[in-house]
Amino acid sequence: MIQVQNLTHYYNKDIALDNINLSIEKGKFIAIVGESGSGKSTLLSVLSTLLKPTSGDITLLNTNTKEIKDIDSFRKTNIGFVFQFHYLINYLTTKENIELALDKKENKKTLENLKLLGITELQNRYPNEISGGQRQRVSIARALANQPKIIFADEPTGNLDSKNSQKVFELLKQLCESGTTIVVATHDKTLAKLADTIYEMNDGKISNIY
Amino acid sequence: MFSNALKALIANKLKTFLIFLSFTFSITAIFLISSIATGIITMYSSMLKSDGDMIVTQKNISDTFFSNVDTKLIPRIEAINGVTKVSAIIFGASPVEDLPIIAIYGSSQNRFSNYKLLSGTYPKKNQIIVGNSIYKQLYNKKNITIGTHNFTISGVYESEIGFENGGVVLNLEDASKIFNKSASLFLVNSTLNSNKDSILKAINNLSNTIEAKKTTYFIENYNQFTIIKTSSNVISFIAFSMGLLAIASIMSITVNDRKDEFGIKRALGISSFKITSSLIIESFIVGVVSFITAFILSNIILLAIKHSTTLQGYVNGEITLELSLYIFITSIIMSALGVIIPSLSASKIDPIILIQKGNR
Repeated sequence: MIQVQNLTHYYNKDIALDNINLSIEKGKFIAIVGESGSGKSTLLSVLSTLLKPTSGDITLLNTNTKEIKDIDSFRKTNIGFVFQFHYLINYLTTKENIELALDKKENKKTLENLKLLGITELQNRYPNEISGGQRQRVSIARALANQPKIIFADEPTGNLDSKNSQKVFELLKQLCESGTTIVVATHDKTLAKLADTIYEMNDGKISNIY
Repeated sequence: MFSNALKALIANKLKTFLIFLSFTFSITAIFLISSIATGIITMYSSMLKSDGDMIVTQKNISDTFFSNVDTKLIPRIEAINGVTKVSAIIFGASPVEDLPIIAIYGSSQNRFSNYKLLSGTYPKKNQIIVGNSIYKQLYNKKNITIGTHNFTISGVYESEIGFENGGVVLNLEDASKIFNKSASLFLVNSTLNSNKDSILKAINNLSNTIEAKKTTYFIENYNQFTIIKTSSNVISFIAFSMGLLAIASIMSITVNDRKDEFGIKRALGISSFKITSSLIIESFIVGVVSFITAFILSNIILLAIKHSTTLQGYVNGEITLELSLYIFITSIIMSALGVIIPSLSASKIDPIILIQKGNR
């Protein structure tokens, strides 16, 4: 599902990822842990095609990302991304934010996602009218909108209380059980424990695999 | 896409309002500069076109104000086959009361009917008729002194041409005494089926001190019009370029300001083309609303200028359909370019970098 070979990334002259090699199978729950600045968010951005690496190869769904001509379209079809700071569009309602990820307005699918995340009643509210936890759930619903094969989540519980964090954990686990590959960057040990494999990062390198 | 574009504009009310204001003032400035320059030429050429297919001036004179043609030639021109009417006019200017300059037209009696009387009668010897906009500003509504000559006001006229409405008209003979010339030019009318070229040749053969031309040719090649046109084109071009660059840069700043949104949408897999199209729709909506506002505002300002007593009707503007279309199309293209250029640059940047840049 995901193959990474000799992946390196620099921010100007500072190395962020140093010769990363890893392999992730379909339907697995992977956690990337590490101190702040260890490179876990950069790795997630590179794996999800949101950031081009300086060097190295990434193969997603049997396709080398360098060979993908329309990367936006590939991302839309196959990848869902949950950001730490939700990044919802403020002038759109929660429902419209979810529909952004869809080619056509699919009311039924959107409502299903809203129901799954328990936020049906928020569909006509704007992001600034709902709580942080609710925004994060909308962000997850948006990532699920296209039924992606892989979901990347960067600190999805970073801004949530324990109750909301638990809900997000359960949901990710549920998605994983239904066949979606989940890759999460987190410093939350409870969330990391749910993972099939944990990659620990230090100074841009994978220091341990559990 | 349209409703989302509208929502984005409404969500950023202040920014949208400022863009709208910048757009509106830029377009209004372009409208006014271009239309006033065109208006001046149109006013003068309308005067010349009003009653003549051909114009006779002094030979090799660059400005009609300095031209002097002998009125003794009039009967000889009238005698040419195909000529129906010859009228003469003297152009002059002088201060009157507190007004620093007013246009003075010495006219042969056969063209008095061009001035529509609102009151009184056409002037006889030592009499004068006054344009409506000048009449309102005179303290003495009975007499006018031009130079050392005193004239009795015999009537008030109205003219659609601002230069005329802000001037005075007197008999050719009286004007001749003031300006020490016979006539500035002759306006020659001919029958519809006459051969204009042969008439022109016949007139030119009458004297080697005169030059007869078709009115349309004269207007197209008149030095003063060329100077006005060239200078107004230069000013219009500068104003136009500045206005359009302002529009493009405003849109460019707006797009740059929303790089994070660009990044979020690309992270969701929305193509750069689709994101750019949505931003172009936003700029189109603002552009159209601003254009309509600027069009209305410009017409109100031009109307106020036309009726301003201070300007004596000499400044007049005309917004033609051609000018409107030209300004509309170029402003829309420039605002679209203002969107496309930063969008193209944003489309080459990785989505996560755009999001990080936008949130700094």
